[in-house]
Amino acid sequence: MTDQAIPLQQEEKQFSLAKDAFIRLIANRLAIVGMVLVAFLFFVAIFGPYLTPYDFLSQDLMARNQAPSWQHWFGTDDLGRDIMSRVIYGSRTAVIVGFSTVSFSLVIGLFMGALGGYFGGKVDAFVVWLIDITMSIPSLLLVIVINVSLKPPLVNWMDAQFLATGNEFYRNTIWVDFVLVFGSLALIKWPKAARIIRGQILSIRNKNYVLAAEALGVPTSKIVRRYVIPNAIGPIIVYISAALGEAMVLESSFSFLGVGVRPPIPSWGNMISDGLRIWQLYPHVLAAPAAVLAIVTIAFSFLGDGLNDALNPRQWK
Amino acid sequence: MTKLLEVNNLHTRFKVRNGYLHAVNGVSFSLDKGEMLGVVGESGCGKSVSMMSLIRLLPPAAQITEGEVRIDGEDITHASVSRVNSIRGSKVGMIFQDPMTSLNPFMKIGDQLVEGIVYHKKITKAEALKQAAKYLKMVGISNAEHRLTEYPHQLSGGMRQRVMIAMALLNEPSLVIADEPTTALDVTIQAQIVELVKDLREKLNMSIIWITHDLSLLAGMVDRIMVMYGGYVVEEAVLDDIYNSPLHPYTIGLLKSIPSLKTEAGSRLPSIPGAPPNLFTVPTGCPFAPRCEHKIDRCQTEVPALAAVPGSSGDRPHRVACWVDMRGRGVEQ
Ligand SMILES: Nc1ncnc2c1ncn2[C@@H]1O[C@H](COP(=O)(O)OP(=O)(O)OP(=O)(O)O)[C@@H](O)[C@H]1O
Ligand code: SF4
Ligand SMILES: [Mg+2]
Repeated sequence: MTDQAIPLQQEEKQFSLAKDAFIRLIANRLAIVGMVLVAFLFFVAIFGPYLTPYDFLSQDLMARNQAPSWQHWFGTDDLGRDIMSRVIYGSRTAVIVGFSTVSFSLVIGLFMGALGGYFGGKVDAFVVWLIDITMSIPSLLLVIVINVSLKPPLVNWMDAQFLATGNEFYRNTIWVDFVLVFGSLALIKWPKAARIIRGQILSIRNKNYVLAAEALGVPTSKIVRRYVIPNAIGPIIVYISAALGEAMVLESSFSFLGVGVRPPIPSWGNMISDGLRIWQLYPHVLAAPAAVLAIVTIAFSFLGDGLNDALNPRQWK
Repeated sequence: MTKLLEVNNLHTRFKVRNGYLHAVNGVSFSLDKGEMLGVVGESGCGKSVSMMSLIRLLPPAAQITEGEVRIDGEDITHASVSRVNSIRGSKVGMIFQDPMTSLNPFMKIGDQLVEGIVYHKKITKAEALKQAAKYLKMVGISNAEHRLTEYPHQLSGGMRQRVMIAMALLNEPSLVIADEPTTALDVTIQAQIVELVKDLREKLNMSIIWITHDLSLLAGMVDRIMVMYGGYVVEEAVLDDIYNSPLHPYTIGLLKSIPSLKTEAGSRLPSIPGAPPNLFTVPTGCPFAPRCEHKIDRCQTEVPALAAVPGSSGDRPHRVACWVDMRGRGVEQ
């Protein structure tokens, strides 16, 4: 092997890991499928409602339970509403809930995890205790409890505010559903993020390669930048992808059970629940939201797996 | 001539839950340029902590409470953090026990190798990579240019340890501290690494401190041996003296527990009875007393100082810390 065989890189490659990871990600077919679907979902959630020909609320009682056609690609439901418009709006519901839940739980989780991992000792013991307690709360139970205890007074208060002030903001109580659903989800979903961060900080701080870098006289700031962060960020990115998918499915489940986002605001969950009543007669009413939910779930899991493989060089072949 | 390394009365302790763990309790020794020193002792006797203290590579709970370390005459114990960093990057190289975890899995071998010298020598990365390839070849890694672009998991354990050695040598240190560099490797690879280090030492004329708990490994490799027990140096002498006329009961015990060709198959090797000392309290007598067959009353009440053996001469005589004169009572080997 001569010196010319494989030329040394000439330029400084700060982001060589990110670049390599990206190359691995796009070399993975399933991950590409997941990525494209997820990107499409976000696009639809953001712009879809402006592009649909029908309003998701407008009923057409003359055109109830129509099978898919050129006018209504996914057909209409039992109130004659265009199912495609509702599925599209449902994606917005899912994405809003998903993003809010994940960002809130990430913020809480990062804070708690960093607290425990960095300070250790009693603080850490408290964080671990809190994580254990929180993880033992069943999410469905919490959402139901919040729905029956917090929601009615909040809605009443908003109604009273509207009557007293006439401010339009208080009139639309539908936001209460969103806030309560993602609020309660964030309250119980943060431990996973906290665990990841805490574990990463604890383990990386004691890693031999950090010691080896210190032994070379590499300054601390560089060690944090090049050794600690890259080692911690992979699991977080994977977590975000998995948690987004999970939160959207949970939103649908809660809405399906009637404790999430409620009609008339469309959610895939409440559409499925509506569809269940008449699916023997009109299967398309159930088919569209159910298929979309299934596809989104699969897309996130493909993307999550792909990210996991791409960001973890130990698994590269 | 000033010594490359001088250590005087070094004490290092750890802050633990309720009190202190006294890991290093007054270690003194020196090292000449080009000299190779073996440090032996049971697990937990303070070998790693004392040698890491030399360049202050210690966890936050650790504290050097007393003593001083001089490298090329320069006081390290009281130097600034940035000065210590630059000494680590220019004069001292470290090789660790576990090559599997000593490389950052998220960085290419090349990037990792050159991190230190790019920072300390202010050379370009391309130049540094060329240098790195040269050292990889020197430690016996074929296809070096290609290896630079690989990630750690793509290398075997033996190769990673070679990479770690190259990493330690890259900044052309005058002192290399190797902390049980072969313990995690299988026997044939161990032998290769030992040969490699011997060879490199001759080529590069550096001083080496080789930490191990296996006294037999040091035969034919080091110039001097320092035996540690409970955070103390209990004996230090040139290789032959340690092997042929050991004077500390602990050293004698260690030597007896080495299997030799004469050991009959199936017979039990003698081991030193008892457990290593508890380090939470500073002993009031000889740290080895609870396990020593030769102890006398004085051993319980006074800590024996590390002193030159009567009759041994020279700049650095055979030193031993024992109240009983073991001359003529050692191992018959
Ligand atoms: N980070 C730490 N916190 C508390 N105590 C420590 C720490 N590191 C080492 N010690 C203690 O210091 C003492 C000396 O440890 P050291 O690692 O120097 O032993 P060693 O001789 O190198 O043993 P080994 O052969 O197992 O590597 C041990 O009792 C150990 O428990
Ligand atoms: S000083 Fe006493 S107890 Fe210690 S090693 Fe010597 S004889 Fe044994
Ligand atoms: Mg050790």
